[in-house]
Amino acid sequence: MIYLQLLWSFIKVGFLGFGGGMAIISLIQSEVLSHGWMTETEFVDIVAISQMTPGPIGINCATYVGYTATGSVWGSLLASIAIIIPSLLIMLTICRIYDHIRDKWKDNHTFKTIMRVIRLLVVILIAHAAISLMTPASFIDRNSWIIFILTLLAMLSPMAYKDITKWQGQETRPVIKKVTEIISHPILLIILAGAVGYLLY
Amino acid sequence: MPDVRLIFQLFWTYLKIGTFTLGGGYAMLPLIQHEVVDKRHWIEEEEFLNMIALAQAAPGLIAVNSAIFIGHRIAGWKGVIATILGAALPSIVIILLIAIYFQQFKNLPTIEAIFKGIRPAVVALIAAAVIRMARKI
Repeated sequence: MIYLQLLWSFIKVGFLGFGGGMAIISLIQSEVLSHGWMTETEFVDIVAISQMTPGPIGINCATYVGYTATGSVWGSLLASIAIIIPSLLIMLTICRIYDHIRDKWKDNHTFKTIMRVIRLLVVILIAHAAISLMTPASFIDRNSWIIFILTLLAMLSPMAYKDITKWQGQETRPVIKKVTEIISHPILLIILAGAVGYLLY
Repeated sequence: MPDVRLIFQLFWTYLKIGTFTLGGGYAMLPLIQHEVVDKRHWIEEEEFLNMIALAQAAPGLIAVNSAIFIGHRIAGWKGVIATILGAALPSIVIILLIAIYFQQFKNLPTIEAIFKGIRPAVVALIAAAVIRMARKI
């Protein structure tokens, strides 16, 4: 019975969860509390762990709730699969429509303009997300800002290299290009930042 | 007919994305951008933005929605299965381990110190993705 409830709850969450991660967490919260699967404090802990561990927050949270509610690995697998099912149905439909429209209207001026406006909105949205993450909890001291700036510079170095070579009109230093490609790897930068945190704090 | 190697590449790419992104959603974008646009050239920068717009508009998790988009584009439904498995597997394994064995995980000072270093870097990664994308509008 509890498995059916889990399945249904997380399918609902998957269907209604517009706006990604944090929006989904609040939906999961109301499901969890209304079924009495865990206490509010337990849920807050789970959200913290879901944020601290890698992977999409919604999947992390679903896995954890599924395990805690049933005490079994099957419960967590069920909850994780349930939250993905609606995405799968809706996103595949959207992909089909998008592919169709794109092939047909590739050179249509209005279509290109609409997509341009949408892209602009997306960039603004993500910029807003980045700014809203600049909280005192993440930026605790001057070192945080140094880590932030160095990471940003490393990430943008390949772009800067490209601009400089374009400006000079020739590829001058292939070694530097290689270096910028290596240091701009996000996984490497996250591991480095973790190591720096370990040494500093 | 997509070959086995391509399916495995899709799985492996999203496994990496699922393993190394902290904070979910937007924090995944720079890594997806790096793997899918720069490294594999599966889609171009401009289409990357279209993909995010679609992934954002649909309900569900942005990371999972983008996994579905890429999997579908590159190798059809087999690709979708590969990317979803890749994106979700690390989460499920890590969370299960924590749920079963390490309830005190979040209170370990070492872990906390590592995260103090990682948090500002994650913000920088997202900011860099914004700057790159802003140039392609």
